[in-house]
Amino acid sequence: MARKSVNLVVGTVLTLSMVLAACSNGNDNKQGSESPSASAPASAPASSQPSAEPVDSTNYDPLGKYEEPLTITQVLSYRPPEDPDTLKGVTPETNGYLKDLKEMTNIDVKYLWSVPQDQFQQKFSLAIASGDLPDVMMVDQQTFEKFKEQDLIADLTDVYEKYASPTMKKVVESDGGLALQATTSDGKLMGVTTSYQSPVQMGYIRADWLKNLNLQVPTTMEEFEQVAEAFVKNDPDKNGKNDTYGISMNKNFLINAWGFDARGIFYAYDSYPGGWLKGDDGKLLAGDIQPGTKDALAKLQSWYSKGILDKEFALKDENKASEDIVAGKVGITLGEWWVPNWPLNLNKDKDPKADWIAIPLPTVNGEPTKTLISQTLNEIMVVNKKYKNPEAAIKLANFYLEMQKPKYIDKSSPDYRGPNKGYVYLWFMPRLIYRNFLNDAFNAVNTALDAKQEKLDIPDDFLAAGDAALFFTESKKYLANPRDNVAWGIYFSRVAKDGGFGLSKKVLDSNTFVENEFFGVQTPTQVERGASLNKLIAETFTKIIMGAPLDDYDSFVSSWKKLGGDDITEEVNEWYAKNQG
Amino acid sequence: MIKHSYLGSKKAKVELPLHLMLIPGVIVTLIYAYGPIFGIVMAFQKFQPASGFFHSKFVGWRNFEYIFNLPDFTQVIWNTFFIAVMKISLGLAIPLLLALLLNEIVRGWFQRIVQTSIFMPFFLSWAVLGGVMIEVFSLNGPVNSIISGLGLEPIMFMAKNNWFVSIIIGSDVWKGMGYNMIIFLAAIVGINASLYEAAEVDGAGRWKQMLNITLPGMAPIIILLCTLSLGSVLNAGFDQILVLYNPVVYESSDIIDTFVYRLGLFDQQYAPAAAVGLFKSVISVAMVSISYYLAYRFSKYRIF
Amino acid sequence: MFYRVPLSRRIFTIGNVFFLTFITFLCIVPFIHLLAVSLSSNVAASAGEVKLLPIGFTFEAYHFLGQKVEFIRSLGVSLQRVVLGTIISMFFIFITAYPLSKANSQFRFRTWYVWFFAITMFFGGGLIPTYIVVKETMLMNTIWALIIPGALNVWNMIMMLNFFRGIPKEMEEAALIDGAGHWTVLWKIYLPVSLPSIATIGLFTIVWHWNSWFDGIIYMNSPDKYPLQSYLFTLVTSINLKMITSDDISTLQNLSEKTLRTAQIFLGALPIMLVYPFLQKYFVKGMTVGSVKE
Repeated sequence: MARKSVNLVVGTVLTLSMVLAACSNGNDNKQGSESPSASAPASAPASSQPSAEPVDSTNYDPLGKYEEPLTITQVLSYRPPEDPDTLKGVTPETNGYLKDLKEMTNIDVKYLWSVPQDQFQQKFSLAIASGDLPDVMMVDQQTFEKFKEQDLIADLTDVYEKYASPTMKKVVESDGGLALQATTSDGKLMGVTTSYQSPVQMGYIRADWLKNLNLQVPTTMEEFEQVAEAFVKNDPDKNGKNDTYGISMNKNFLINAWGFDARGIFYAYDSYPGGWLKGDDGKLLAGDIQPGTKDALAKLQSWYSKGILDKEFALKDENKASEDIVAGKVGITLGEWWVPNWPLNLNKDKDPKADWIAIPLPTVNGEPTKTLISQTLNEIMVVNKKYKNPEAAIKLANFYLEMQKPKYIDKSSPDYRGPNKGYVYLWFMPRLIYRNFLNDAFNAVNTALDAKQEKLDIPDDFLAAGDAALFFTESKKYLANPRDNVAWGIYFSRVAKDGGFGLSKKVLDSNTFVENEFFGVQTPTQVERGASLNKLIAETFTKIIMGAPLDDYDSFVSSWKKLGGDDITEEVNEWYAKNQG
Repeated sequence: MIKHSYLGSKKAKVELPLHLMLIPGVIVTLIYAYGPIFGIVMAFQKFQPASGFFHSKFVGWRNFEYIFNLPDFTQVIWNTFFIAVMKISLGLAIPLLLALLLNEIVRGWFQRIVQTSIFMPFFLSWAVLGGVMIEVFSLNGPVNSIISGLGLEPIMFMAKNNWFVSIIIGSDVWKGMGYNMIIFLAAIVGINASLYEAAEVDGAGRWKQMLNITLPGMAPIIILLCTLSLGSVLNAGFDQILVLYNPVVYESSDIIDTFVYRLGLFDQQYAPAAAVGLFKSVISVAMVSISYYLAYRFSKYRIF
Repeated sequence: MFYRVPLSRRIFTIGNVFFLTFITFLCIVPFIHLLAVSLSSNVAASAGEVKLLPIGFTFEAYHFLGQKVEFIRSLGVSLQRVVLGTIISMFFIFITAYPLSKANSQFRFRTWYVWFFAITMFFGGGLIPTYIVVKETMLMNTIWALIIPGALNVWNMIMMLNFFRGIPKEMEEAALIDGAGHWTVLWKIYLPVSLPSIATIGLFTIVWHWNSWFDGIIYMNSPDKYPLQSYLFTLVTSINLKMITSDDISTLQNLSEKTLRTAQIFLGALPIMLVYPFLQKYFVKGMTVGSVKE
């Protein structure tokens, strides 16, 4: 049921780290990578591919140059370049990366079409239905399974083995083989991707309000509630008006929630909607109907009646809810590590006194509250079965990772290629996203900051160079000028030890989380009934919070089971039995 | 038979230009409207884009069974029907009223401004208006400040089923009223002015003139709009409801289209969506045919 | 004309003016709001504070837009689409409505044709088959994909047909008896007296072309060929759908560019609002034409 559906997440995460990697690019005449030698155990016979590849067949160079120009078609999920300094007039076709790729490997990338990101899914479905598939594409897990079933995509086992650069292998396998396993069936690797884990839930609170009211940073649920209530009643912003409330929340507070939601409160009561938890008998249980769910609802209901929650949360989406944060009407919000970057920074723009700190989720029984962590696949790179040179796709992936090396990213380097030179990373595919980029960049930047370095010094094979470089510059900016709220947003979300990611890291390092044990594709009943069950949850829970009898929850549980919940549980357990270990 | 005797007849010769005039329209319609109708097979398939129409499995009525067996489907149909019918009837009555009122104003800048303004909301999409509407009807919004100014309790309009549905209907009428108003105005303008002059001479007042000349003169267009509107008894306005609704008012405002949309969001369920589309089409054609027949039967008026 | 106006009439007129003024106000308030937001500072807009007057007045958003290539380019596409599309559509509607406005006795197969067209208002094949047809007829990625498939809007055609029916038949009959053909009747007699309906339906067609966004996204192969509304749509929704913990810094910052989005929405609606009063004049003219006859 509510598993914050795998493909939803996958689609957007793609853009992740890339932003940061925004700089980079290849230099004009580099051939081969630094690290080609290791990549190709020349043992496997080259003949297994119907390869037109004219390169020496014993040397599987990850970035080897074709003698004849080779065309590879793609489709582009388009977004305008984000860096305001981007060279004027650059289009996806004239992207600097493509020029370098051509020079380095003699591959021409041709876009069959491009469409803004939001419409991509639709346009891509149309392309699939009308039989117009590009040579290489990025697909979500559901599509991947269907393509596999219908025998539309090429087996990449050999080409991955032979052509993937060591960097690429390191990136793909950085999750201990989870992603590889997920894209392998019957011993054949049908696609290449990476995985990531869902972010840790935490809280953000206005420390200046706490100070105004002489309150301590809350840790238990009671303290949390007291603070929130004080934020409602005691005029925390000292403007003499009764115009504030406690906790920000929006109508997607549980299903498809991504910020300003109530997931953290449910977690505090050991309720994990959308997750599948391992029960005592080794079977998986639906996180939605754990006993704690009712307690969490009771708590939220009482908060609603006390005015701690926005009376109109049920009408507001995330953007609307964020307006109250920016306007300084609310003192607490629950969310993920990126919240300081938006909208907290805007609140600081508006109110220079605003001082946000990150806090762990409140605890109910003294034990730290465990957040739910799901393993999720990023988009999967697949190659059209009809395409003669599947190794070219691997080369593209190699190329992009190559371009993330520090020397291309460092603005002072002669090899630097950034947006101002016409290099737009958003318009290059495939971009494999390194799973631990935040973590690695966090460590590197903090080391450099602690050592008071003026320049970020990172090794050549550092996988998160672009991110680290950006975090470092922005942190420097913030530390030099605490009034720079944009820089603060990046610093406090990604670098500060007590900030968004810093706190997440503590949670992860101390293992205070619950694993979502189910990470397969949607089961048949999920496909058929998921929407109905989601509606049922949203409707029932929202109404209870807004004052419907708490006991409605009990009848909800039985209808949830009857309407497909039981079937889904069974199917999920079948999957689990098959995929365990 | 008929055709044979028609071909080569003198009548055919006279009518030939009429057939010729229809050729461009017929061709475009055949290709772009009838061409895609083969897609209806999708409603009877377990359609998957990657398999296309030719290789997807046929499943008979299963998609229809699936849709009709979904929980709440009856409620959803009822919501759709109710909202659509209210929108249709008010969406015709109010513009008619406005057109008549506007017609009573002396032509000049005032009339032009009013007419232009009333048409303006038509240009805005619901995606844009949604946020504005929620603000207007929020607890701190202008409507509630008037209410509390009158000493009454503020109302959470968007979270009360009755209010919400009224707002949905009202705002849709508001947004679209300029469109139908123009049609009505153009019809009024087309009425022969000499009829009014004659009435004036007979000493008929404005009210009488409206009842006896204006309204009858507009009857054809009114009947036309009514009949065609009946084709949308199952279109309750997807965009609008999608941006405005929330879980608290699902029971009154979840309509067929939002329902199918959520199905599709979860997994791309093209086939059930096609089944719903076919169902809606059949109902539409039935409604329009019946009203076409009734209009002809009772007022001898042929709509098209 | 103002002599001897009865009191009741005066009271009615005053009430009427008040009422219509109120309605007018209701209809333009959202535009005032959008205009105010687009002229406000970003922080005030993001905090949701702007109502009907700008806060922190600035032209920055418009200034920025004036330099934005995408905006200007898509505006050009839209203009092209509206001009071509409206001319072609009106031609199709006009020549299709004429034969169908004849009585059954004048045109034998009329009813068949009418139903042939009318059915398509209610039956469609859905997105995927339509897409395939457009693709197979080679319109993909050309402006014609936005114009040809919808060239004959049946709803508008039926309205035109009904206007035609209201045209007095005497002149037409006289002309036909004099040996003029249907083509002559169509251009010489129908066209001049149909100005009000042409203006009305023309306006609808313009608005329809101007406001369509979905076909642009589906049929064009790259965003630089998008008409304005397709481009605006991607701006408006990218805000709602981007979401899901993308840690993309700039994206999240874009979310807050509320003033910019609003300015684009406002400018997007502006040209069509400017066209409107121009066509509106035609309604009045149409009336004189109508009354001169006879």
